[in-house]
Amino acid sequence: MTARRTEILYRICWTVALLLLAVPFVFPFLWMISGGFKSTTEIFGTPTLIPRIWRFENFVEVFTYQPFARQYFNSLYIAATVTVLTLFIASLAGYALARIRFAGAGLLMLFLVMALMVPEEVTIIPNFFLIRAMGLIDTHWPLVLLPVFGPQGVVATFLMRQFFLALPKELEDAGKMDGLSRFGVWLKIALPMSRPALAAVAIITFLHSWNLFLEPLIFLSSLEKFTLPLALSNFNDSYGLPLWNLQLAATSLAVVPILIIYLIAQRQIIESFALSGVKG
Amino acid sequence: MTKVLLKDIRKNFGTVEVIRGVDLEIEDGEFVVFVGPSGCGKSTLLRLISGLEHISDGELHIGGRLVNEVPAARRGVAMVFQSYALYPHLTVRDNMGFGLKVRKVPASERARRVSEAAATLKLEPLLDRFPRQLSGGQRQRVAIGRAIVGNPDVFLFDEPLSNLDAELRVHMRSEIAALHQRLSTTMIYVTHDQIEAMTLADKIVVLRDGRIEQVGSPRDLYDSPRTIFVAQFIGSPKMNILPLADGQPIALGASVPATATSVGIRPEHLSLGQPSNSTLRGKVGLAEYTGAVTLLHVALDGGQTCLVIHNQGPAPETGAEVGLRAEPGHLHFFDKEGRAV
Repeated sequence: MTARRTEILYRICWTVALLLLAVPFVFPFLWMISGGFKSTTEIFGTPTLIPRIWRFENFVEVFTYQPFARQYFNSLYIAATVTVLTLFIASLAGYALARIRFAGAGLLMLFLVMALMVPEEVTIIPNFFLIRAMGLIDTHWPLVLLPVFGPQGVVATFLMRQFFLALPKELEDAGKMDGLSRFGVWLKIALPMSRPALAAVAIITFLHSWNLFLEPLIFLSSLEKFTLPLALSNFNDSYGLPLWNLQLAATSLAVVPILIIYLIAQRQIIESFALSGVKG
Repeated sequence: MTKVLLKDIRKNFGTVEVIRGVDLEIEDGEFVVFVGPSGCGKSTLLRLISGLEHISDGELHIGGRLVNEVPAARRGVAMVFQSYALYPHLTVRDNMGFGLKVRKVPASERARRVSEAAATLKLEPLLDRFPRQLSGGQRQRVAIGRAIVGNPDVFLFDEPLSNLDAELRVHMRSEIAALHQRLSTTMIYVTHDQIEAMTLADKIVVLRDGRIEQVGSPRDLYDSPRTIFVAQFIGSPKMNILPLADGQPIALGASVPATATSVGIRPEHLSLGQPSNSTLRGKVGLAEYTGAVTLLHVALDGGQTCLVIHNQGPAPETGAEVGLRAEPGHLHFFDKEGRAV
């Protein structure tokens, strides 16, 4: 057998193995889309991947059953706000922790990282009392403030700090020689150079906020203030049983922004997971 | 007139004093090179002059103005860094004009000055490229161009050629020398490469442990080193230092000062002779052929190793018995503190 034929055979085997491995990951996704077009009866009937009757009206009902468009917008603007604020604060704090020599900088970073060890579920009750005392129950404020200043913000700060630590110090010296202030060095040199880290932080933060369930569940009670994860669990019939077809249709719609982001920034997402050690 | 004056300059990092009282006068238009071994404080001294490090004590005057508390950008100095420190997200044109933009120089004036500097350094075809698309030598020229556009009173170079290969280093060295001739601006240059120091400098400052060991022209330092440290630091291969008891025979015909305890002789000032009629005798331990010359490591009868540059005729084989001779005029005598006598 020639080397070329061995190479082709090797490639075929490898592709088949990868395709087989992909099935457990891709199949639930296809099942979700398929379920979104089925009736409830068909979902519980003989399982088929292709719907026997295509119920496009499921996707209309999703919007009439509850204020889904509003809830969709809530998730979008909250995730965007959290992402922008986290990028701003984490890049500033990360830069300060990496580059400004001040007493207790190492200790401060240690405390921040230690705070990550506390599970979010443990802090939810004290946070609830705090938010209630601030009069912010049933508003979107806690969904912005808690991720920005909570563990997610710490992870972002840590990532930015690690990136800034690796930036050559001579570039900052050159900036100072060119007349930049400390803030100017951050804005004009450090920030443009940290685009990969900013992309990583943006993606991780957006995904986290988009998927947030516990906090909206605790802090929100009005339907029109719900975010998507909460709204998805709310497609139930009058007996409280889930309307699977509507849930699957709504879920299919909910993954659209994530898919778009993934298609645009596929490389950065993979790099961001590698950079952060976060599982995808 | 941009004279640089350092008066008892000191720098502490915590409790460690790294610059221990440096007094130095640099004349307008002079090319001064700071040399010394690693950790001697040469780069720190340059950073103190640039304003990137705060001076712990002493006075720094640039152009007659006390600048201890003046920020780096307002000292009238420009710096070329070892790693070039070009902004990777900006083109060559933007890199060169960046400092002017920060200082709010109008765009037209900025463009004019960048073009002038680019013409001087033959950078015009590269103006729209990014640093990653340039070779090491081109990056170095851009770094120099960035310093030129600011029209500084003093140029500071921090080991600017150490990242280049040997051939390019020689080329860039001559470009820097030509630039100094053309601009006649005061230049302060840090290097650990004494060939760079010798070829470029009007004045060399040898530093050791945060203090100045000797200041002088390259010839002064080579011909009249004031200490053993300078004698061995300047010149390559380094000067042989022999205890006078062993070195005595080599100094025949020379008047040996009463306080001298050691004698120094440069490898290029030693010549080979017959062991029977030479003042020093030894055995060739190693012969390094470099093309133009052969560097011989001669193990003396007294136990010391003496380096000899041999450039006439075939070099003796390893293990051969040789005699060494030196002209009395090329001998350097040092006392027990290592000072020249």
